[in-house]
This record gives sequence, C-alpha cells and structure tokens, in this order.
Amino acid sequence: MSRLLSRVGAAALGSLMGASLLATPVMAQQTVTVGAIEILSGPSAAYGTAIKGGLELAMDEINAAGGVLGGKKLALIVEDSAGNKDQAVNAARKLVGRDKVPVVIGPTLSNEMFAVGPVTNDRKVVTIGTSTTAKGITELGPYIFRTALPESDVVPVTLKTAKEKFGVKTIAMMYANDDAFSKSGFDSMKAAAEQLGLTIATIETFGSKDADFSAQLTKIKGLNVDAITISALVEPISGVVLQARQLGIPASVRFIGGNGANSPKLGEIAGAAADGLLVGSPWFIAKKGETNEKFVSTYKQRYGKDPDQFAAQAYDTMYIVAKAIDTAGAADSEKIREALYKTDFNGVMGPFTFTEGRDPASNEGVVVLSMKNGRFEILE
Amino acid sequence: MDGMTMAEWLDDFLFTYETLIHALGVNGLLALSMYCVMAVGQLSLGQAAFMGIGAYTGALLTLNLGLPFWLVLPLSALAPAVVALVIGGPTLRLSGVYLAISTIALGEVLRVLYINAEWLTGGALGLSGIPRKADLWLIYLLLFLAVLGFWAVGRSKIGRAMEAMREDEAVAGVMGVNLPVYKMGALVVSAMLAGLAGCLTAHSNSFIGPNEFGFEMAVTILSFALLGGIGTPIAPVIGALVLTSLPEILRPLQDFRLVINGLIIVVAVLFLPRGVIPFRLRRAP
Amino acid sequence: MLSQQLVNGLVLGSTYALFALGFTLIFGVLRVINLTYGFYFSIGAFVALTVAREFGATIWVALPVGALSAGVVAVVADWILLTRLRRAKAGELASLMVTLGAVLALYSLMAVFIGTDIQRFPFGFVDNTAIEFGGIRISLVQMLIVGTTFVLVAVLFLLLQRTKLGLMIRALAENEDAARLMGINVGLTVAAVSFLSGTLGGAAGVLIGLNFNAIQPFMGEHMMLRGFAVIIIGGLGDIRGALIAGVLLGVLEVLTAGYISSNAKEAVAFTILVLTLWFRPVGLFGRAQAKRA
Repeated sequence: MSRLLSRVGAAALGSLMGASLLATPVMAQQTVTVGAIEILSGPSAAYGTAIKGGLELAMDEINAAGGVLGGKKLALIVEDSAGNKDQAVNAARKLVGRDKVPVVIGPTLSNEMFAVGPVTNDRKVVTIGTSTTAKGITELGPYIFRTALPESDVVPVTLKTAKEKFGVKTIAMMYANDDAFSKSGFDSMKAAAEQLGLTIATIETFGSKDADFSAQLTKIKGLNVDAITISALVEPISGVVLQARQLGIPASVRFIGGNGANSPKLGEIAGAAADGLLVGSPWFIAKKGETNEKFVSTYKQRYGKDPDQFAAQAYDTMYIVAKAIDTAGAADSEKIREALYKTDFNGVMGPFTFTEGRDPASNEGVVVLSMKNGRFEILE
Repeated sequence: MDGMTMAEWLDDFLFTYETLIHALGVNGLLALSMYCVMAVGQLSLGQAAFMGIGAYTGALLTLNLGLPFWLVLPLSALAPAVVALVIGGPTLRLSGVYLAISTIALGEVLRVLYINAEWLTGGALGLSGIPRKADLWLIYLLLFLAVLGFWAVGRSKIGRAMEAMREDEAVAGVMGVNLPVYKMGALVVSAMLAGLAGCLTAHSNSFIGPNEFGFEMAVTILSFALLGGIGTPIAPVIGALVLTSLPEILRPLQDFRLVINGLIIVVAVLFLPRGVIPFRLRRAP
Repeated sequence: MLSQQLVNGLVLGSTYALFALGFTLIFGVLRVINLTYGFYFSIGAFVALTVAREFGATIWVALPVGALSAGVVAVVADWILLTRLRRAKAGELASLMVTLGAVLALYSLMAVFIGTDIQRFPFGFVDNTAIEFGGIRISLVQMLIVGTTFVLVAVLFLLLQRTKLGLMIRALAENEDAARLMGINVGLTVAAVSFLSGTLGGAAGVLIGLNFNAIQPFMGEHMMLRGFAVIIIGGLGDIRGALIAGVLLGVLEVLTAGYISSNAKEAVAFTILVLTLWFRPVGLFGRAQAKRA
C-alpha cells in the first residue's frame, strides 16, 4: 500500500513539476517584474510583513505616477522563505530561473542572505538586502547591494550618545549566540565599546528561543553597571527587558539595543519595562519632512498600523530600484547594477547613495531613539 | 513558449530546482543512514548529529586546508564513524526510546559546541563560501551504490542475522548472532552515510550553520524512513523523495504547508502499517 | 547573590517540573511518547489568554478554564491518534511518529489561525508586585508557580496512591492485559489519564506563559526537549522524580550560567540526560522495567 502511495506520489510530483513549469507566465511586455524573498510566516514574520508592506506601497505609488521605462508597470513577486534558509534559496532559484527577474529584493535575515547571495550573485542578478545588517553581506559578490545600514555604522552612534548624554562608563553586554545577525551585532557593539573606552563588566549569552534569563541578569545586577547592551531579535530582547525589571534592575540602568530592538513589537510585549531603552535608527516615525510624513500617513491608512523601520527602508529601496531601472533604460540586471552605483536619492531615510562596496554611504541620518510608554521617541 | 530552446529550458529547469535535486539525493543518503540502524532494530536518531560532524569536517578541510574533494569526502565519512565508535559503547546498551533520546541529546550538545567553538566553526555565523564541489552525478552515484550495497547485504547471511535481530533480539542473541558487533557496525555505517550526506550538503549549499543539525533534522530524517517504510532499502529513499519535494509542491498553499506535511505523516502511520511500522507490530494474539 | 540565584533556579526548575508532570504520567502509564503534549501546553495558554482578553477574566478563572480545555482536547486527540496503535500493540516508535505528525499539523494550524506573534496576558492581569527579603526578590507569579507545582505534585501523588482511580491507573501501567482481565475498564482509565495529563499540561502552559510573558503557538515545542530530560532523569512515570529532577535541572542551569558561563547553560540539561542514560537509565526513581517485547 505504501509502495503504491509512494509511486503515486512520485508520479504526482513529476507531473506537478512539469505542469508548473509549462505554466511559466509569458513575460508581458508591459510589465517589469521584480522579485522579493521575505519571511511571511513563522517567527520573525513581523519583519517580513512590514517589508512587504513598504515595497507594495511604493510600487503602487510608482505605478500611479507613470510606472517605469516610460509607462511600463512595475510588478512584484514576493516569495515566502518562512525564515528557512533552504526555502529562501529555493525561492531565489525560482525567481531567477523561472520568473527571470532582473532584481531580487531581500531576503529578510542575514542568515538567509548568506545562503541566497552566492546563488543569485552567480547568476549575475542584482540582489538588494533591505534589512540585512550583519558583517560580510556585500562582500558576498559584486551583485549584492544593501540599503540597510550595517550595525557597524549605527551602533557606535548609539553608544557614543549613551556615553556623552548619560555618563555611561561601565556596561554589561548580552547577545543571542545562536543567530548570525545577533552575533554580528554584538561584535560591532564590542568594538565600539572598546573604542569609546567603556569598561565591559561581563558578557552574557543566551539562546534566541530562551525564555529564562534570570541567571545572567542576576549576575549583571550584582555588578552595578551603568547600562546593558543587548544584541538579539525583538522577542528575546523583550523577554530580557521584562525579566530584568522583574528582578529589580532599576530603570536607571538603561538597555542599549541593536537593530533588532527597532520594532514596535518591543513596546507591545515589554510595555513599561522597556522604557528608557536606547536604539540607533536610520529612520524615525516622527522624523520631520514632507516625504516621511506622507509616507507615514499613507502607510497607516492602508495597513491600519504604524510603519516601522523595516517598512521605511523597503519603501525607499523600491523607489531606488525603480529609479535604477529608469537610469538603466532596460530591465537588464547588468545595466541596473551599474545604474545603482549612480544612485542619488532622497527618501524617507534621507539622502542616500551607495559606497564602492555597495553599502549605504552615510550614517548621518542615524538618530538615537528612546522607548517610552511603548513607543519610540527621539532622544533630545 | 516565447522562443526558448529546449536546451535553455532545461538549463533553467535545472537551475530553478538545483537545490531541490541536490537535496533529494542527499536526503536519500540520510534515509539510508536511518534505514541502516533500523534494520537491526535500533532506534538511533543520531543521523543528524553525524551529518553535522561530516558537514563541518568537510567544510573545514576544504576551507582551511584546501584539500582536494576526493580526499575530503572520505574523511568526512570517517570523522563521524570515529565518534560513533566512541559513543557507541555506552549508548548501544540502551534500547528503544532511551536510545532515541540519548542520540538526540548528543546532537544538541554538539550544537552548543558548534556555537561556542567560534574560532573553529564560525559560531553562530557558521561557515560560508564553501566551494560547490558536490556534483549531482556524484551524489546520485553514491546513493545508487549505497542502495545496491544494502540490497546485496540484505540477501546475504548478514542480512538474515539483521532480520533476526529485528524480529526478536533476545532470540537472535541466543541463536548466535553477535549482537554488539552488529549493533556497532550498523551505527558506524549509519554514521558514515550521514557524514557523507553532511559533506555533500556543505559543498552544495556553500553555507552551513550550527542550527541545521539538531532535533528538527533528526525528526525529518526519521520521517523519511517512516513514510517509506523499511521493507527494502529503496523504500526509505522514496520516503525521502516524497517528503523533500512536498514543501516545494505545496508552495502555493503557503501557511497550510506544514499542516499538510504533518497530516501526511499521521495518515501514513495510522493507515499504512506495512509501509511504516516496521518491527514489533503484531496483531494482538 | 547566591541566594537569589538559588531562587531563580527553584522557579525555573518548578516550570520544568510543572511541564513534566503530565508528560511523565502519559509516558509512564501508557508507554506512549506523546509529542502532542506540547500542544496541550500551548492550547491551555491560549485559551486562558483569550478568556482573559475577551472576557476580562482573572487568573483564578482563566487558569482552570485553560487547563480543563486542554484536558478535553487531550482526551479527544489521544483517542483519535492512539487507540488504533494501542490495539495493535504497536511499538513506541509508532506513537512517536503519529504524535509527531499530529503535533506538527496542530501547531501549524494554530499558527494559521492565531499567527505566530508573541502575545502576552493583558498588563495587570496578575499583580506585578514582588517581595524582597534577605537580598532575594521573588514575584507573586513566581511564587504561584512554585506553589502550584508542589501542590499539584502532592495532589497527584495522593490521587495515584490513595484513590481507586489511582489504583486503576497503576494497574494499567503495570500490565495492561492483566488489568483488563481483572475487570478494569481500560478505555475509561486511559481517557482519565489523558485528561489528567492534558489538564496538567494546560495549567503549566498558563502559568509558564504568564511568567515569561511569551505565548505563541510553538511554545510547547521549546519545552519538549527539556521535558524529555526531566522525565528521564526523574524516572518515567514517577511524580516525585519529575519534581526533583525538574528543580535540580533548573538550579543547575542557573548556577552554571551564573557562575561558570552562560554559554554552557544550554548544554547542561542534555549532558546530564546523556550521562543519566549511560549510567543509570532508569533515572532517579524509576523502577527497572523488563524490556517490552
């Protein structure tokens, strides 16, 4: 019986794959299709969904304003990686091999980019990370770009501000040791702390899925530090912050977060416990300026909630891609790549250009935010 | 079809599904690695851990020592085999569920080691930039040879001894089957196959991380053998083929994918006993 | 600081023990590796969460409602999945796989309907105050967890040792066929065990979800591996064992993280598990069982 089932299954597999291939959509001459790989299900889906929101909002605006290449519509295919590296690679292969997109936006996590990058780069397809901030991303190849400011550019600003504004001298450092993004962020934090001459009292680690941090936090409490840096994804950060206050670490001991903290989820989960947490961000919801204000209100109207940094970065990236397509004059990956180098764009993130290494050129726009009552405020 | 030649179409097909096709072959080897221990009645779930050892060994040998692939491959099979010999002693005294859990626990301990031995394994960041040396023909050749090997062994005296062990271990022992030798042998072979699979996977995906060889992977490998059955060596391989392609076929179903995956396993276990529950399933007397 | 760390360990250990209680019951009595147990844990938490959010229930209402719902779900699920296998006397492998497939489907289904975002009980659901004395700080919720764990252990122990139902359960655990021959209604007893186990799992889910402020569909999965460690170290089917092993594990993990290195914390449970399996497989309180044919 199982043999029959297996045989039936194999036949089904074969015919399904065959059918789906034959059904490859004929590329309409009136559309330029761009691909995206984001986490739309599972944990961390919050990031991917926000990014998708930003991309689609920008795309619709671009199309309403006349599209690209003199009237062609911009289209987007978004594949779900579910945070799974292999699925991300399969999605990339599908976008490049079947849908033949000239540009791939994403994936969401640095982990995924390390797997996907070599594949798309090999095929000479431009790949742009909007949220991948670990070290070594753009070094993967000449077709890999990123519009997300690497942690190594943001974190020094945050730490410097903490030192100057709050007289922070001794810190404890915490990070999730089983995740590439968190570890990489920690490396940047440590380097920045050493450069600023801060004393590191202790370094504690935890797992991204852990729920109990009492051991590490009790130890830190006993060391009387001025601040605690933390590099992890938003869910463990929320857990740490909550438990820290539960254990009686006073609010005067601030947390300093990496990019993972840059999510409204922090306020939702941790509430008042997160008050005073500092994080550097290239974007801030209440940033002044017509472009940003319009973006925030349109996003809110369309999706019913505030945009976050991930949405904002994706929004800008879509515009950057559209402009590059126009500059390139064709939906050709090679030409778009050259056009990207010439990017000179002013969006919700502020003025944007690429470096020779295909990273964002300036970290001038970085602001330090502080959490209060579940929302981020600019630190005055 | 908008002017594509057959060659181009094939090229695109291969590219699009390259990862999948590699994975099918590798998972076939893993399924056989599982088959190996189940064929002597052992529920060892250490394949994922052995795979990890093979993957890291292979990647490190290629990246740090620049050894040629024909050398790296057998060494990646050897390393986990050595580990199997070492832990085999105490571990194989256990049976059933205890054996399963202890092998999973070992996998988790290894995971913590990978994360912490940063200077060697790259820690959480893993090892990337591994050159893609695992050619498709090599993977499938190894798979074919493995299936052939098992089939040949199955028909020999060794195979009969293994079947005796599966049916009733105590009786087999009394009849003169050297239980410890067979059990250890099965574990070592299983480790070698898993190590090969790990090395091949590292050299196909160009990137490995510490979280890939733990509990979830162990369970996945187990489900290959369970779906396909262990009646013959080819059965678990087919199980692997089906379960590996399922996420891709079900891609349009998005969120429901895992649900269906799980349901398939449930249905298979409950309603396909011959294909699934190998030993110890008897009709109530 | 040591005393605070010990308290931390006690609390963490109690969560492990609380989780393990129902698990060890099912495993020890019915000889099934019931991976769906983790799902009962999650469901208990979610039902309680919903009741608290939609109806403004307090913990004294939400906790039993969550726990009992999980118990009902457990009876139904176990009946669907395991009856057939038990009748055919299939080995542990079969129950492992079927419950694995089921729990995979169930978690994912739950995620489809509820989403995978972490949710938490409404702020102020339980008083946030903590007491401090002698350099130790412990919150009300934490005391509730520790207290509940000990109470449940005592109640369960009494149930098993002093009541008729307990006798039936123990007889079933010894030898199912003999129990049936003695006139024990096996089906009913099994259902009772499922219900008990599910309720315990659900209660654990509510309390642990409350303590860590993290409720999401896959929360049960994360606890499962530790759960295995606890029940094996404690001895299968032994309630006291689950308590002692759980607390021991919690304390050891905390002390390792606090005094050796937080990097090693992860490995503690599994290292002890492996050592236990190699040198004393029956665990602390397990009885040496003849291998089941």
